[in-house]
Amino acid sequence: MTLANRLKMGALAAALCAPGLAWATQEAPLDLVQPIADYKLYVAVHTEKLIADATKFVAAIKAGDTKTAKALYAPTRMNYEAVEPVAELFSDLDSALDSRADDHEKKEEDPGFTGFHRLEYGLWEKNSTQGLSETADKLLADAKELHARIVKLTFPPEKVVGGAAALMEEVAKTKISGEEDRYSHTDLWDFKANFDGSQKIFVLLEPVLAKKDPDFVKKVAENFTVVDATLAKYRTAEGYEPYDKLSEPDRTVLSAKVNALAEDLSTLRGKLGLN
Amino acid sequence: MTTTKTPSCPFAASRRGFLLGAGAIAAAGGGAGAAIAAESEAARPQVADAPIAHSDARRRTPFYGVHQAGVVTPRPACGIVAAFDLVAANPEELQTLFRKLTERIAFLTQGGRAPDRDPKLPPADSGILGPVIEPDELTVTVSVGDSLFEDRAWLKPLKPKTLMRMAGFPNDALVARSCHGDVLLQFCANSQPTNIHALRDIIKNTSDSMVLRWRQEGSVPVVPPQPDGKSESARNFLGFRDGSANPDSNDDALMEKIVWVGAGDPDEPKWAHGGSYQVVRLIRMLVEDWDRTPLGEQERIFGREKWSGAPLGVLGGSEHDIPDYAADPKGDLTPLTAHMRLANPRRPETEANLIVRRGFNFSNGVTKSGHLEDGLLFLSYQADLAQGFLAVQSRLNGEPLEEYIKPFGGGYFFVLPGVRDESDYLGRSLIEAIA
Ligand code: HEM
Repeated sequence: MTLANRLKMGALAAALCAPGLAWATQEAPLDLVQPIADYKLYVAVHTEKLIADATKFVAAIKAGDTKTAKALYAPTRMNYEAVEPVAELFSDLDSALDSRADDHEKKEEDPGFTGFHRLEYGLWEKNSTQGLSETADKLLADAKELHARIVKLTFPPEKVVGGAAALMEEVAKTKISGEEDRYSHTDLWDFKANFDGSQKIFVLLEPVLAKKDPDFVKKVAENFTVVDATLAKYRTAEGYEPYDKLSEPDRTVLSAKVNALAEDLSTLRGKLGLN
Repeated sequence: MTTTKTPSCPFAASRRGFLLGAGAIAAAGGGAGAAIAAESEAARPQVADAPIAHSDARRRTPFYGVHQAGVVTPRPACGIVAAFDLVAANPEELQTLFRKLTERIAFLTQGGRAPDRDPKLPPADSGILGPVIEPDELTVTVSVGDSLFEDRAWLKPLKPKTLMRMAGFPNDALVARSCHGDVLLQFCANSQPTNIHALRDIIKNTSDSMVLRWRQEGSVPVVPPQPDGKSESARNFLGFRDGSANPDSNDDALMEKIVWVGAGDPDEPKWAHGGSYQVVRLIRMLVEDWDRTPLGEQERIFGREKWSGAPLGVLGGSEHDIPDYAADPKGDLTPLTAHMRLANPRRPETEANLIVRRGFNFSNGVTKSGHLEDGLLFLSYQADLAQGFLAVQSRLNGEPLEEYIKPFGGGYFFVLPGVRDESDYLGRSLIEAIA
């Protein structure tokens, strides 16, 4: 079965057996049905890629290959960061996969500190794969579980539409300050993934929005362009420069434009008539 | 625009109003006794009721004028300074920001109803002051920093003559995160939530061009009205009256000379006339150590009596008495190293160094060793940075007070000239001066 077909089946199954999720899903207005279906495909492609990339990443850790594991850390994470607004709907998986040491009382030593950042901590701070095997296996298992749940999920339209702003808020809160990937300093990779995820939602909704508010579309598109161009200065052959290479003036520009995007995109739900 | 409470005003539908209404119904059925009981209950607030403001909550400080408000206007109880970095790549972007700031400040300082929006959209206003924003004597004063000019070739030639980047003094321990900025906003109001509301409003409305760099809140103790109607200088966190020797801020001619840049400053760019140099210093006070210092020593450190604020040796004096240093050349009454004597030796040649101080006290948190992080949000205004603050601070370097203080942040800024009327905007003279 193709991924697209499986997704359709999943949506049907979900509609029939009412998922045990904590939010009430509103009916998608007619003009949002196609963008949301397209977005679901985008997310599923990323979670499928997440599994593939995590498989290699975990294999490197278990083989004791610190160098390869380090090289695979940031690109693997990008698959998760791009679809964060949906991934976050499953809070158990989100905290297992993506919590930071700050979220735990005993910080790095806390047994509840697992997932990407725990592996990052071991690989960079300890420069070793030692003792990471179990956490690595859990990461892969959680990634698989995430994909399975997403395929079955009826995407709540307000979460999809709201996701564009949520991703920019993510950037504004932790990526712009270099707090997210504090051991590896690969924050700009995450930044790029959040950015792409947000822009994807906007681009999918653009035809609907353009009819309602062309000036708004123009302004948002301009800010996306500025962020994209600024970030592009930090591209390298493999991905992105370490966070500390980010210049003070560029940081200010990114901060302002990301805040402005979060502000503008926070009106998307209202503009599209969603509660 | 009105801020008088009318029956349609949502404030009228408070719990107290409801209780009074209930009392009236009870009175109809149960006689006068019930009505009295209900009334006295109505007069007794619940634990979390909003404290009743002083009548000042509805007073406004005018926004339009030759100078910005918040410099020589009386300092209210609460203040915040917030420093921002700017994304303004060209004069047009800077002008857009200045116009936006003007529009927001004109509204916030005069008060009114927050606009209603479709409930599907995020609200236009944070709502922390309710649907009707009381002016609360709010002032928002906009100033610009050295980096605004230095980082932009098209602004560099227009930098005010003595504006510079703050550099550390011998007793400083500057923290990069708490220093400098392209723009500084100073908020002053009778209550801190009014300032916070204004800050949030401005952040929301300017997020595409300003990024918050640091902020500091502060307040001064309020005092009950005096029977003789006189007022006194507020006390700082070392327990001393602070501001006693300030030049008279009601003397316009004096303020033109000491505070405002004007025609008397031929070297200043013309656009800067009506503005002022602003110094912000975040100064931590080691209050636990201070509280273990004998009173006599405390008084000698400042040169003033703690309760009255009078200069030492003036029996039964007041804080407004003037010390006679000429009659005390060896410092028997006022030590030669006393803070106020160093700050202002009162010699003809130091007349040019007068400044106006308008600070607030802050209490930030707790250090790793369990000490209070309290201090002074020092704010001063002068017509010349070098002649004013820099000259005074260089005389203070090494003073005995340093044992109890540690400056860690702040910066030097230039207060833009005032907004004359509705057709004017903040920074217009600067924008128009760009070649
Ligand atoms: C935590 C730091 C400081 C404390 C606790 C403090 C406290 C005081 C006190 C209690 C007075 C006497 C009352 C008065 O005239 O206002 C005073 C006066 C004064 N202070 Fe400070 N001050 C501090 C920092 C500074 C700084 C940084 C400057 C400027 C560089 C400054 C400049 C002055 C001046 C000009 C006077 C008036 C002297 C006179 O004209 O007699 N102070 N200060």
